[in-house]
Amino acid sequence: MKGISLLPVLAMLALASGCSNLERSRDLANPNVPPEVTAVQVCSICHGIDGNSVSPNFPRLAGQQAGYLVAQLENFRSHQRSDPPGFEYMWGISHHLTDEQFKGLAEYFARQTPTSNAPVEASQMTAGKVIFENGVPAKEAAPCIACHGPQAQGMATFPRLANQHQDYLIKQLHVFQETEGRPGTPMKQITHLLSPQEIIDVSGYLQAFPSEK
Amino acid sequence: MFFTAKQIQRRLLDILTPTLGVLAVLAPMQAQAVPSFARQTGQNCVSCHAGGQFPELTPYGRMFKMTGYTIGSRAMPLAVMGVVNYAKVADTTKSDDPAADFQKDGSAVLSSGSLFIAGKITDNIGLFSQISYDNFAVANDDGSFSGHTSADNIDLRYADRFVDANRDLIVGVSLNNNPSVVDPWNTAAAWMQYVPAASLGSHQFADANTPFPGYGSGGNIAGVSAYMFWNKTVYAELGTYRTANQGLAFMSAGVPDGELTKLSGNNNPYWRLAVTREWGPHNLMVGTSGMIAHVYDTGSDTDPDNLGLYRNTGIDAQYQYLLDPHTFTAQVAYMRQVQTYSATAVADASAAATYVLADGVTPVDAANPTDTTNIFRAKVSYVYQAKYGGSLAFFNKTGTSNTLNQTSGFDPVGCEGTVVCSASSTRVGGNLSGNPATSGITYEAFWIPRQNIRIGAQYTAYSKFNGASDNYDGFGRNAKDNNTLFAYVWFVY
Repeated sequence: MKGISLLPVLAMLALASGCSNLERSRDLANPNVPPEVTAVQVCSICHGIDGNSVSPNFPRLAGQQAGYLVAQLENFRSHQRSDPPGFEYMWGISHHLTDEQFKGLAEYFARQTPTSNAPVEASQMTAGKVIFENGVPAKEAAPCIACHGPQAQGMATFPRLANQHQDYLIKQLHVFQETEGRPGTPMKQITHLLSPQEIIDVSGYLQAFPSEK
Repeated sequence: MFFTAKQIQRRLLDILTPTLGVLAVLAPMQAQAVPSFARQTGQNCVSCHAGGQFPELTPYGRMFKMTGYTIGSRAMPLAVMGVVNYAKVADTTKSDDPAADFQKDGSAVLSSGSLFIAGKITDNIGLFSQISYDNFAVANDDGSFSGHTSADNIDLRYADRFVDANRDLIVGVSLNNNPSVVDPWNTAAAWMQYVPAASLGSHQFADANTPFPGYGSGGNIAGVSAYMFWNKTVYAELGTYRTANQGLAFMSAGVPDGELTKLSGNNNPYWRLAVTREWGPHNLMVGTSGMIAHVYDTGSDTDPDNLGLYRNTGIDAQYQYLLDPHTFTAQVAYMRQVQTYSATAVADASAAATYVLADGVTPVDAANPTDTTNIFRAKVSYVYQAKYGGSLAFFNKTGTSNTLNQTSGFDPVGCEGTVVCSASSTRVGGNLSGNPATSGITYEAFWIPRQNIRIGAQYTAYSKFNGASDNYDGFGRNAKDNNTLFAYVWFVY
């Protein structure tokens, strides 16, 4: 490199690489980047390429309802959803993405196959199953199954809960219960009726949700 | 302990006064107070930095780095970082000139600052570069100081990621000026140290100046390295370095010629191999690295007799548990360095062997042409809610004794059997034994009131310094006399 000025070398490198590489771009403000590319290049880092995230800090998205995913991305982009992981990670990710990209991302994760998650204690399975199927009648808390479906598969903007990380569910139920971070859902009223132990139990049951009922 | 509760209270007040001034200045800017990468991704600092501890990266932060800083969209690429700190050394009396040896001891100072130029350039190219200012770089004869600005870390890289359901391969190439600056783990030599310390005498025993694993070549050299990360499991990097001059002189910009590391040729290889795994909220890395560097001593950079050789081999490991609100990290790093001195250095040391043993007669041994040093460092840290944290670090440097490294001693002329305060002897920083052994523990507590401000205090306690626990400089100074309280306010905008 003796005697060669670096600037022209860098300029050539930039030209050679082009300004965008749509097939493998990690640009979050380019409407031409296909959502499948964003899903594998960016989202997969935390949520897994098949939507089955490893860390419970990040929700599993495999098999999630597309309608729910689009609604959440819109809530992140408009800052209506402000739970800590939401604003720490997702406000920035969603900021410049288009409605079309939201739709494509949602469809990508909706078509992934959920895998089973780690087992939980038998006592949580037993108690959680009762809450999931029957609610807590003494407190007039509605059962999860009513909106989220018999397989906890979700429906439209009601999310799939089966195989979701217990820790993520616990934290979100507390967000509903104690904060205004996720407004506009019936979960505010329902979580007010649940005790901390009931939240742990039902979240555990959902993490280890039996594949065949 | 060396400080009473009242003394600590008074010293904390000393540092808090300027701190509050800094916070008052920054406060109106907080709404948009995010440095360049956060502006680029729109994300919070804790997305990439574990528990908000800079520069330690989360698994996501590591992927951001390995994919060439290209996630997000181009944004204003400038950011600034500054450090205000206070240091107090346990004993400042065992010195011929405390004012020189312990400059600004017990005073809060604005010690250093950095300008970052960093961000996405294209979909495949990104830059991390840091230009640092040391407010106390040069001590003038009249007791004042002159500041100095120079190139710090530079990492310009091209990266691509080939990922589908069956494979995940990241490949990249980096033009950089510091071996291991490309590395995504915090146990790499370039990154394990996170709180900068000024060059002031009162800071010479603070944790940032204790032994850290590093490469003999140091930084401000120029190199190219290629790396790959395969299936989120294996990281491998191979590079080579040369002197940062001619077309690459910007990588050492601001470094005076006399302080510039001059390497022989282009064949100074650096390598790195690491294996990592993530499960649940846990992740673990075990790795190894090394470098062979042919480095000229100060003076001629063509004379082969002026050329020394460093051979470094290291192993390191890092475990992180990240589950909001908890961040726990354990790190260990070990580096072995075999240094072959230049023929000139050995000859000079032998010719100038003025020291004798304590009997005032027997000459010290001739200089060895080769030394081996081993540096081990272990650290655990915990942060709650990315706000309140603490750490405990253990460091231990051992190595061979060599009269070539003896900087204090007995002079045969005039005063046999006593330590002579001749010009060639050094108090405080001196080394009577020629052995590098230095060990101790650093305790730290910190608070992160906002994601870009960190206020902390460290206490470093030495059990050995420059080869001995007691009388290491030959003038009665003991290792524990160097115990240091170091308090800081760090901010980035």
